[in-house]
Amino acid sequence: MTKKTSVLAPGLVQERSPVTEQQLIDAGVDLAKDFPGSSVDDFRQYPVLAEGGWYIVIKHQRTLQTVSRVPWRLLGPISLLSENLMLD
Amino acid sequence: MTPPAVRKALPGLSEVERRVAVSPDELPLRDLSDEQFLARYNTDRFTASVLASRMRYIVKHMSTVMLTTAFSMTLRDWHDFAATISGPRDMNYPMSTGSDSLTIFMFTMPEGIRNTIEEFGPENLRPGDVVIANDPYRIGLHVNDVSFIRPVFYRGKVISFISMRAHQLDMGGAVAGGFSGAKKSVYENGLVISPTLLYRDDKPVAATFNLIFDNARYGALLLPDIKSLYQSLLLGERLLLESLEKYGIDAYLGAIRYSCDVSADAMSEAIRTKIPDGVYDAEDGVDADGVDDSLEYKLKLKLIKYGDNIEVDLSGTSAQARSSINCGPLDVKGAVGIALKMLIEQKGPLTSGCFRNVDIVMPPGTFCTATPPDGAIFMYWESSLTIMIAIYKALSKALGERAIGGDFGSLMLHNANGRRKDGTRWLTAATCGGEHGPWGATKAGDGDSYTVNHFNNNLDPATEAIEADVPVLMMRKEYVADTGGPGTNRGGAAVCRETLWLADGDHLASPFHAKQASGVGANGGRDGTTQAVWMFPPEVFNAMEQGAFLPKAKDFYAASVPIGGVLDAAAKTLDPSHGEYVYWSSHNIWHLKSWTSLRFQTGGGGGWGDPLKRDPERVKRDVRDEYITIDGAYRDYGVVVMGDPINDPENLQIDMIATAKRRAAMESAAQGAER
Repeated sequence: MTKKTSVLAPGLVQERSPVTEQQLIDAGVDLAKDFPGSSVDDFRQYPVLAEGGWYIVIKHQRTLQTVSRVPWRLLGPISLLSENLMLD
Repeated sequence: MTPPAVRKALPGLSEVERRVAVSPDELPLRDLSDEQFLARYNTDRFTASVLASRMRYIVKHMSTVMLTTAFSMTLRDWHDFAATISGPRDMNYPMSTGSDSLTIFMFTMPEGIRNTIEEFGPENLRPGDVVIANDPYRIGLHVNDVSFIRPVFYRGKVISFISMRAHQLDMGGAVAGGFSGAKKSVYENGLVISPTLLYRDDKPVAATFNLIFDNARYGALLLPDIKSLYQSLLLGERLLLESLEKYGIDAYLGAIRYSCDVSADAMSEAIRTKIPDGVYDAEDGVDADGVDDSLEYKLKLKLIKYGDNIEVDLSGTSAQARSSINCGPLDVKGAVGIALKMLIEQKGPLTSGCFRNVDIVMPPGTFCTATPPDGAIFMYWESSLTIMIAIYKALSKALGERAIGGDFGSLMLHNANGRRKDGTRWLTAATCGGEHGPWGATKAGDGDSYTVNHFNNNLDPATEAIEADVPVLMMRKEYVADTGGPGTNRGGAAVCRETLWLADGDHLASPFHAKQASGVGANGGRDGTTQAVWMFPPEVFNAMEQGAFLPKAKDFYAASVPIGGVLDAAAKTLDPSHGEYVYWSSHNIWHLKSWTSLRFQTGGGGGWGDPLKRDPERVKRDVRDEYITIDGAYRDYGVVVMGDPINDPENLQIDMIATAKRRAAMESAAQGAER
């Protein structure tokens, strides 16, 4: 038995990137009409795993409304050891 | 492939206004007119529901094939497999149907099938193919859980994938059977199979069989198991094609979409109506990895709910472990799905549609989202379990009476292997440890005390089958008093499973969640007790020589060799509040001599509701049935029970006056503590 005190392995964070007004326009968002009172700073872009696999989403953070959902890499953030094999 | 439609931003609208505003394609099923239903699904409601039922019938029959023809105990008696049906590529592989078995498998399978077929190349598929894969980073779970996928062709086109995910006894690697949290990289973990043909034109691909059988142990059991799996796929394909001939391709594909939409609608409504908008945080974790006990691994989970959407974010979670206690992103998805099904939506079928309104945000490289080659994944359920517990904790207050107590959670899995006198190998996995135990209580009643955990929905092999398979005697499967979380409804009692080993062997035990209870209390109920494992060498007690069972008395534990738990330093009995942590991997492998006994005690189930509101008569009955002791009744429930529960159990009495006084004092003390 041990009285040794363990420490916590360090935590990691998934960043949520700011988006531009142009990204919102491209996503078909009319801020004044669709999200009255909100600004571009209320939206973030980040990867999610959901029905259908991995996507890069842009969401209104307060209401979780998704305004853009684009399929991402099949395995999301995971890189396989075989991924960079050059066989030809 | 097309992603799901982006939901319209409709802020500030009432539910009625929202329904009017959305297009027919977004309407919930129940609001569709017959014409709208036909337009969406290319069939009528009746036919769609008949086909959905037909698909469930198909996976049930595929499962029956496995239970009746598989040779290994893990498939035949443990039900360590799941069968699913998925739609074609141009629908993005929606999983419409899952079998009545391992839930943790099924939520990984939609992505697992998509990832396997996309990498293999859909254009390379032919009728008569079976494609396999087992890489945890590609398809979730661990390398022993091999995915067998049959593309179903109809009139020259792939219209579905029938799949079995099934545990193979061995996939090579450093540890026989594979079950170890101490493997330090993918290189020790076992054979990794990228998407590969196992059958072509319904003929075995020799190169693939050779790859497996040149690496894996226990080939004599593996081969008939794989043949059973193949036959199960053939049956599924035949039944599916019969349905197609009868109802047509349009109706069939419509029914796949319909099945997923049923789940999506049910989950969406449950999210909207059962969880108040808000941000819910909780933590859980794993005690230590298999390198040493210097690091603990903490899960940080934030669940954000707004309207009918949920986002689960694991930011802040500890970096991946240095050994194979990790899980991967698809396992996280499975755990989130099971937690939501258990807590808020129990009626809808389990399909990929359950996640239509659920997004999971995960930093890569944590112990729940491990990456190769150093983030080895094997004991995945122990890490993904922390997600389920954290969601139970996070939503406990919000759900109020609908919250449920946690189950025993951590499997505390045991595995062992050795050689018989004739030189043949024996192996046992997940049959002699803490793999079965109690559930938590709910508003409906007390938790059951001997079942499978919320993750698994598997079976418990018969004692006779275990004893016939390996050199062991199953001495006890008993409930332990005062271990279920106290509550208006009591958590199920911890299970003590004790084995006596008749031959020398190498043993591993995996009590990874001993520092905190898995059986978390709900709605004012209290947590169940924590888990622990002890070894009693023959020098301490030789059951055969003594002709007696290992004593249960508390003072007997001091002579044991503890393998894991938080225990009193001298007495070596469970003491989660003040005890010392016994590191589960102090020995990489325990080499046990014959006549050694192992005692596993699972965690107790979480209680539901205030224990002081439990009817004293129910407490007395629990004392009679040895779920709680007279001391426990007084300490945890404030009920004064008199009599002798062992020798005169039917004549126990309650001292109602003393009970009222005791409960009043306890309530007063609790209120004082709150102030």
